[in-house]
Amino acid sequence: MDRGISLRPLTDAWRSATSRLILIYGALFAIWCVVLLGVVQWEASRYLSRVVDQMLVARIHYLEGTDARNLPDTVATASAVDVQGFMRVGLFDAHGRRVAGNIARVPDELSEDGTVTSVKAMLVDASRDTPMRARGITRELPDGRRLVVIKDSTTIDGLGAIIRRGLLWGLSLTLIPGVLGGVLIARGPARRIRAIQQAMEPIREGDLSVRLPVSRGGDEVDLLAATVNTTLGEIERLLGEVKGVSDNIAHDLRTPLTRMRTRLYRLQQQFAETPEGDQLEACVAEIDTVLGRFRALLRVSELEDRQRSACFEELDIGAVLRNVHDFYAPLAEDRGQAFEIRLDKLPPLRGDPQLMFEAFANLVGNAIKFTPDGGAVRLVATTDAAGDARIDIADTGPGIPEGEREAVFRRFYRGDETRTKPGCGLGLAIVSAIVRLHGYSLSVGGDEKGAVFSVTCPPVVSS
Amino acid sequence: MPRALVIEDDEVTARDIVAELSAHGLTAEWVANGRDGLTRALADGYDIITLDRMLPGMDGIDIVSALRERRIDTPVLMISALSDVDERVRGLRAGGDDYLTKPFSPDELAARAEVLLRRRRPAANETRLRVADLELDLVRHNALRGGQPLTLLPTEFRLLEFLMRNAGQVVTRQMIFEHVWGFHFDPGTNVIDVHIGRLRRKIDGTGQAPLIRTVRGSGYLLAPAD
Repeated sequence: MDRGISLRPLTDAWRSATSRLILIYGALFAIWCVVLLGVVQWEASRYLSRVVDQMLVARIHYLEGTDARNLPDTVATASAVDVQGFMRVGLFDAHGRRVAGNIARVPDELSEDGTVTSVKAMLVDASRDTPMRARGITRELPDGRRLVVIKDSTTIDGLGAIIRRGLLWGLSLTLIPGVLGGVLIARGPARRIRAIQQAMEPIREGDLSVRLPVSRGGDEVDLLAATVNTTLGEIERLLGEVKGVSDNIAHDLRTPLTRMRTRLYRLQQQFAETPEGDQLEACVAEIDTVLGRFRALLRVSELEDRQRSACFEELDIGAVLRNVHDFYAPLAEDRGQAFEIRLDKLPPLRGDPQLMFEAFANLVGNAIKFTPDGGAVRLVATTDAAGDARIDIADTGPGIPEGEREAVFRRFYRGDETRTKPGCGLGLAIVSAIVRLHGYSLSVGGDEKGAVFSVTCPPVVSS
Repeated sequence: MPRALVIEDDEVTARDIVAELSAHGLTAEWVANGRDGLTRALADGYDIITLDRMLPGMDGIDIVSALRERRIDTPVLMISALSDVDERVRGLRAGGDDYLTKPFSPDELAARAEVLLRRRRPAANETRLRVADLELDLVRHNALRGGQPLTLLPTEFRLLEFLMRNAGQVVTRQMIFEHVWGFHFDPGTNVIDVHIGRLRRKIDGTGQAPLIRTVRGSGYLLAPAD
């Protein structure tokens, strides 16, 4: 049945909302880690390169200070010790030719003003040396020779690599469990929302006695559920009161109305075949209409209050439908309507044949009433794809507009099209109550060329 | 004159019932509680009993069960404010012959009482019913009007049988619906009238005295033309 927006997409939306929150949180966390470690790395390498620079300055200062004649030896000794090439030293003549040390030539990047710069140093033994990132400093000696000291700065890069690896490990060790944990934690509330949604289902169908599940936790969801429960209780009470009032009115007015009808009826018999008698007969007919409505109203209440009967018998729905057809065929014929019945093989059902007759009699009676003379009414029973018995009552009347389809099952509802017809708008409420009592479902479809009422009856599960 | 026992605790209702039954030529006696009602019903031979379902002292269901246990088969018309079908079924199972829901119109009560009275008199196993020149053969399932066979559908046959069994009595639409179709709700439309109309066209052909009469505000009556 078309009941407006379904609740089902809500869960998916809700779940995607949770996942989205977790993802956004994870992404923010990762970005924050990267920024944090970036700052750490930047600070650390700045510090390290300052240390390197100070070492370079100290070294070149020391070499400058040695005796100019011993300088080539000092440089040679220093470079001989520096097997790993960590702190390379080179002495060059005025033409840039190497005098001593383990630096092949003066790197171009070196600054003449005596500050430390980054160099891509290519060193003495080109065969076992690859260009590396390094810091270097140079000084021109008073005799025109040039002193160069270069310190390998790959340790700084190494530190960077260590920090980056740390970042990677840190992120994967926190983010993966974090996201998984988040999803797991979010599943709890998702399950509860789903439970609440399932509990809402019968409420949407009109069963106000249902309450939402409230856990002992007493969190926001529980608070909300408790509030909804209180509201439902209040609505149920108010609706019960309204229904009680209308039932009481109907119930209490029946007796005086019946007595009034009796008096009028006796008068009418005294004045039979006179104009007064005709007036009185019309009065009796009006009272009968009112009494009929009260009866229908009380009938709806009686059916709604009835618990689903445990002693439903095996229901030959085909026989019920044939009876209904038989009962209404003369009426349809009088109206020049084609009244067709088609019964397929149906699954076994349980129910109350009296009530089912009443329900289908109402539906067929309506179909005949709203179908113009010469139209057609069809009563078709089939087994649908799900294995349920499905009984369609189709007519060629004005149909029921989309917007009214839900309302037609309410008490006293009368569509714009039907206001001119006799009736009280209780027939479908009776049908609805009977169908609900049986656990069947009732829907209305069709178009402007006619309405189709469908009753779907799940079969008895043989145990 | 047939005698009726009215077991009813509500005085106003009781008076209505007594007045209506008296108007239809019955001598009606009123008892206000269940215990006295049962004693009277057991002691005297009444032709019909109207019995309230809920009484002080003793429940209507218990009274009718007690009567039937003692093999007293006086027709019992149960009258109750409980309209539920289950209540009706309980009342009829206990041995009630008919069940009327409060509030009822007196002519409905009278019609039902008369049907119960009449049902008692002739032997139940008739095979032929006859009203004027209309004949119904219950065994061969055929109908004749003035010697001419009528073609009746099964429902029409059952409807005619009910009218003929109660010939000369007013039967209400509700009684027709209950007896011919076996349902107890309010069909709410003029469907019964349509069925009667068709039956009438079949049995009251042109030139024949009409047998089925409409009683305004009440129901139908099948009787020989006066």
